[in-house]
Amino acid sequence: MDVYEVMFIIIPELDEEQVENTISRFRTVIERTSGEPRDVNHWGRRKLAYEIDHRTDGYYVIMEFTAGERTLVELKRILRVSDDVLRHMVMKLPPTYAHKPEPVEAAG
Amino acid sequence: MGRRRGSFNRGARPAKNKPCMFCKENIDYVDYKDYNMLRRFTSDRGKIRARRVTALCPQHQREAATAIKRAREMALLPYVVGR
Repeated sequence: MDVYEVMFIIIPELDEEQVENTISRFRTVIERTSGEPRDVNHWGRRKLAYEIDHRTDGYYVIMEFTAGERTLVELKRILRVSDDVLRHMVMKLPPTYAHKPEPVEAAG
Repeated sequence: MGRRRGSFNRGARPAKNKPCMFCKENIDYVDYKDYNMLRRFTSDRGKIRARRVTALCPQHQREAATAIKRAREMALLPYVVGR
């Protein structure tokens, strides 16, 4: 089974609970389309390398999951229409790729 | 005669058989999330460095370049530094 990874940037205005809500919304999408959400990795709030929509910060979340038939289409669609997501990127992980620790907090 | 190599390499630096960084560490996937590592392959202006500077093999230079572009898309690396 292929493992996918989605990274998305949530707008920094949301509080912790709203961030959780947003993430669980995507988790539901994956589950509903018979995919399986794996570990969620919060990079947290960090500086963007450049401004997006006049925002200098963003809340980064990375999520690994396996996909069912409609998962990718559906997830991408939801991500696109979500107003609280600035950017997103879905990536297929190579089968040999082991989980690596996240880089240390330092943005420029 | 004791000069560098034959005439084909004149003016250029002598070829050194140095394995590229990723080959040496046996990395088969250049991860765009590891932007601090990728930063080594960009200039201080944010541009992608040429292969002769990065000393990467063709395959890994390509992969590093794609990874940098992905990182840029997600605002992990800048498209341009200072305007």
